[in-house]
Amino acid sequence: MSAPTDVAAGLPAALPPPDAQEWEVGASDSLWRLTLRRFLAHRLAVISLLVLALIVLAVLAGPLLSPYDPNKPELDDIFLGPSPAHPFGTDSVGRDLLTRVLYGGRISLLVGTLAVTVAIGLGVLVGAVSGFLGGVVDVVLMRFVDVMLSFPRLFLLILASVFLRDTLPSVLIIILVLGTLSWMGVARLVRGSFLSLREREFIEAAKAAGTRNRHLVLRHLLPNAMAPIIVAATLGVATAIISESTLSFLGLGIQPPTPSWGNMLKDAETDMMDAPWVAVFPGLAIFLVVVAINFVGDGLRDALDPRHVQRRRE
Amino acid sequence: MVLFAGRRVLQALPLLLGVTFVAFLMINAVPGGPLSAYENNPGITPQDIQRLQHTLGLDQPIWIRYLQWLRHFLTGDWGYSYAAHRPVLTMIGERIGNTLLLMGTVYVITLLIAIPIGLFTAVRQYSRADYGVTFLAFAGLSMPTFWLGLLLIIVFGLGLGIFPLGGMSTPGASFDLFDRLHHLVLPVATLSLVGVAHYTRYLRASTLEVLTQDYIRTARAKGLAEEVVLLRHAFRNAALPLVTVAALDLPELFAGALVTEQIFGWPGMGRLFWDSATRSDYPVLMGIVTVSATMIIAANLLADLVHAWLDPRVRPH
Amino acid sequence: MAMAKLKSAGAFLAGISLLLGGACGNPQGGGPSQSVTKGGTLTLAIWQEPSSLLYPFYSNQTVANLTSELAIEGLVRIAPDGSYQPVLIKDNPTQQNGDVKISSDGSKMDVTYHLIPNLKWADGAPFTSADVQFTWKVFVTDPKIVSRAGYDSISSVDTPDDLTAVVHYKEIFSPYLGRFLQVLPKHALASISDISKSDFARMPFGTGPFKFTENQSGDHITAVKNPNYRVPGKPNLDRIIFRVVPSREAAIAQLEAHEVDAMWNLLESQQPTIKKHTDLTLSRVAGPSVERLEFNLAKPGNPADPSVPHPVLGDPAVREALLLATPKQRIIDKLLNGLATPGNSPLSIGVFAPKDLKQASYDPARAKQLLDQAGWVPGADGIRSKGGVRAHLSISTTTGDKIREEVEVVLVDEFKGIGIELEVKNYPSSVLLGSWSGGSPRNRGNYDITMYASSPDPDPHTTLVSRYTTSGIPTTANNGVGFNYSRFSSSQVDQDLADAGHTLDVPRRQKDYADALKVLNDSYIAVWIYNRSALDAFSAKVGGWKPNGWDNLTWDTQDWFLSKS
Repeated sequence: MSAPTDVAAGLPAALPPPDAQEWEVGASDSLWRLTLRRFLAHRLAVISLLVLALIVLAVLAGPLLSPYDPNKPELDDIFLGPSPAHPFGTDSVGRDLLTRVLYGGRISLLVGTLAVTVAIGLGVLVGAVSGFLGGVVDVVLMRFVDVMLSFPRLFLLILASVFLRDTLPSVLIIILVLGTLSWMGVARLVRGSFLSLREREFIEAAKAAGTRNRHLVLRHLLPNAMAPIIVAATLGVATAIISESTLSFLGLGIQPPTPSWGNMLKDAETDMMDAPWVAVFPGLAIFLVVVAINFVGDGLRDALDPRHVQRRRE
Repeated sequence: MVLFAGRRVLQALPLLLGVTFVAFLMINAVPGGPLSAYENNPGITPQDIQRLQHTLGLDQPIWIRYLQWLRHFLTGDWGYSYAAHRPVLTMIGERIGNTLLLMGTVYVITLLIAIPIGLFTAVRQYSRADYGVTFLAFAGLSMPTFWLGLLLIIVFGLGLGIFPLGGMSTPGASFDLFDRLHHLVLPVATLSLVGVAHYTRYLRASTLEVLTQDYIRTARAKGLAEEVVLLRHAFRNAALPLVTVAALDLPELFAGALVTEQIFGWPGMGRLFWDSATRSDYPVLMGIVTVSATMIIAANLLADLVHAWLDPRVRPH
Repeated sequence: MAMAKLKSAGAFLAGISLLLGGACGNPQGGGPSQSVTKGGTLTLAIWQEPSSLLYPFYSNQTVANLTSELAIEGLVRIAPDGSYQPVLIKDNPTQQNGDVKISSDGSKMDVTYHLIPNLKWADGAPFTSADVQFTWKVFVTDPKIVSRAGYDSISSVDTPDDLTAVVHYKEIFSPYLGRFLQVLPKHALASISDISKSDFARMPFGTGPFKFTENQSGDHITAVKNPNYRVPGKPNLDRIIFRVVPSREAAIAQLEAHEVDAMWNLLESQQPTIKKHTDLTLSRVAGPSVERLEFNLAKPGNPADPSVPHPVLGDPAVREALLLATPKQRIIDKLLNGLATPGNSPLSIGVFAPKDLKQASYDPARAKQLLDQAGWVPGADGIRSKGGVRAHLSISTTTGDKIREEVEVVLVDEFKGIGIELEVKNYPSSVLLGSWSGGSPRNRGNYDITMYASSPDPDPHTTLVSRYTTSGIPTTANNGVGFNYSRFSSSQVDQDLADAGHTLDVPRRQKDYADALKVLNDSYIAVWIYNRSALDAFSAKVGGWKPNGWDNLTWDTQDWFLSKS
């Protein structure tokens, strides 16, 4: 429920802080190998990664193979059920649903990854500045984070999308809205690890050795804060895809005729009783991708946080 | 402790002020505005629009309107809805109870189901049952709420005809507890599924973390029964972060679940927000955002205090 | 918008209502043929919530109108044929019966209403001419009234006796019969300083068949039988509950599950769901709403300068080609389940709808030929250009409207077929249909093609003048007043519409309008895609209803009944 039930609450902020590992340069090779081995031990995560890879491949290559134009209406072929010619059936204007699901996947995955990239970028920036500089800058930035976190997230999403809606192409708007409203968790996360790392011996040592700040942040602090960021980013993509569909359901998502899984579901609302396939396939696509991403995220968490695995060996 | 609490409360006030100001700017920046519904109507003259703008005070600069809003708000006058011409406080009052009923039920049910499952999956990590529950939990997390809600309506409402399709009560009937519960089932199921998934995962992770701690090893080494170890030692410590997370979720009890309320026609706060947002009903929007933000800030405060109370290490001296 | 004013005096104030007879309304029998039964509660799903139940005083929503109609009646109402029917008055005031008098200088007029004696408000108080006077006062003094149009042309209302109200107009006001479609009870409201905030605005009563007793925000609104209703034995039902549901889809589902007995306003594409059930009936009636594509004849700008022609749409050949490339019939058959008719003019029903005016039907071959002749040459990608101008256009409609979005998909494809590139650029309705000051692209002329629907009143004069005369072009100079979004200017249309405004001789007005509308069609300023029907649905056990294209489904609730089954 912490995922506010409707639109999950952005990037998870409550991940355990990075611990014990000191991924110092040089030691990283074997550490990565160890991580990889731990990840491979998580069977569902591995399967999910394969599924995800397949879906991404299908979404990238599929449209090229499809004989149909995703936007071309065929008014004589409205609401055809699944068949060899149209494996997913056709929609309310006779467009091939499989082709549209594949094209929609491009948009939905693009929105998911780019929104998270924006969020992670902003979050790391704010968190790093805040955690590294401390003092007044830290106070001001963290109060701003507090203000942002004091709005119900969906309210913010709605207001921001309504506000921006006729300024830019809707794909860009959704990326910006989801990205700029989801960075707060990451910022807190990064700030937290910076604060705790700052006190650590190897950082003290680097400081004493006269390492420059930029070098200190980029080579020592950030890599050591990476683990939770990676996990947050992975899960964030799943959240963003769900959020896009929720905004679409409210009419604020990607605008037709550009297909996205979210707006295809929205479109299906009127027709799902008579032509269930128009709702089933885009819904299934979202479901599969999000489940897979969640498993991969879970696997990454296990792999990057060794304490979980210790228990298994007992 | 009291000092700590007092300081945090004082810090919260400017935060709330900041939130209302940002909210006011955002709400007013939305294109269209409260009179846009009239502007397309040839029967409504530009003079009519001008007069209405003046009546609603919309012809004033934004900062003046904000200060006016703030002044009235502080004296307990939350203003009147532009559309419904009703006091904002009354409108929110009508809805907040319904939302509390829905979300409170969801909250309780979620915790009742999630806690045992979370503990169980942690203890049996990587067992078949763990994989099964994990899979179900992720499945629950991976469906858009509206999709799940519509599915439940189609299957249990339209298909099987077991549950009503929406609303809070049978129209025309007088109040009846069973009828109310009957209407609660599907929306609560929709929201709980997601909630259970989330809490289960959370509790599983924090329990796993606790299980690796030295004192658990010590307890086991002392030959304590596994149940005692789990319930008395592990759960109590694993519950600490859970309390924080649960406290942070409290605001939803008041803010409601917009999409679920929308799908099931539940007359709660979420729908009031949506209806007001679609017609730029500024006073109502401001009221709702302020209530929600207050709740969120208060919940954060509560989480901090509980945390400080349970874990003396974080308590400042 | 200035309402139509009749400048010259004379024998022209013939009662429109008498002459409007015979308008088509496609009336269709309502409900089962069982005998009328008394009593029962009917539940009607509405997918929008009325913000106030005092239409049109504090809300202009259709849903506010259809709910408030149960309780609040007017001196007259609009019948299915588009004529005004006396309700609380003995007869419509006309010049013939002496109840409309023009001042000797022809600048003012007086309208006298003779109320039916012994009428009562739902609370038992007598209905008198003071109530008519009070209603006018509310319109012109309450600052929260949505529109004063027409009422601000009245200088005073006299009440020589309880059953006579004399309305003094400051000017000649031809649509006078359309005033007082709602009257308010003075005795209940006179002491209230702000009616919009009162309980009465949430639970009003009037002289109508029902009175409101409960209004639960977001959930339901209850109206019970008015014991003092003027027709003995009516209404048949004891109670009507409006159930507020979140969407049309939810309304249909609840209708299917028999949780509600009727629903307001469904989409053409939802008809198959109703048809699947033998125990549900679709109410369909032609309404005045015409869905159209309107072309911007001026170069898009913010605001547009009407004297600079549009680089692509400025060429009449392009506009004609777009008309020929619009498959109206196929759109109707495939996307609207055949529940509409191809449009030919902005007036689809009523006495003033031109009978012989037709728009050319679908003929893409001819469209291409026209473009070839006009010098629009296809490029490598099939899109035409002329003199370096690419035939690229955008189409704007309201976001979230599924049928409109589907029509856009079809048009993009069809227009591409004749070498014209169409880009979808939709806006939320609050923006697209918004105001000049709010920057609405339609008002400001910052668009190429816009798709929307508009419903003229039974007397279309105001609509036609504001939409198609030169003075109706919104510009900076006139502060954006007017609805001539095409920026179309024709001295003949101006003249025809001015002529029509100076007479009440219906055949002459019909000819003037037909002439003007023919010029519009010959200039290809718009494609009248289809004439919409009003669609509502009833459970088969509901009887007694009659559709009324000019009003809402609730216009005759006193006759509704539930058959026992």
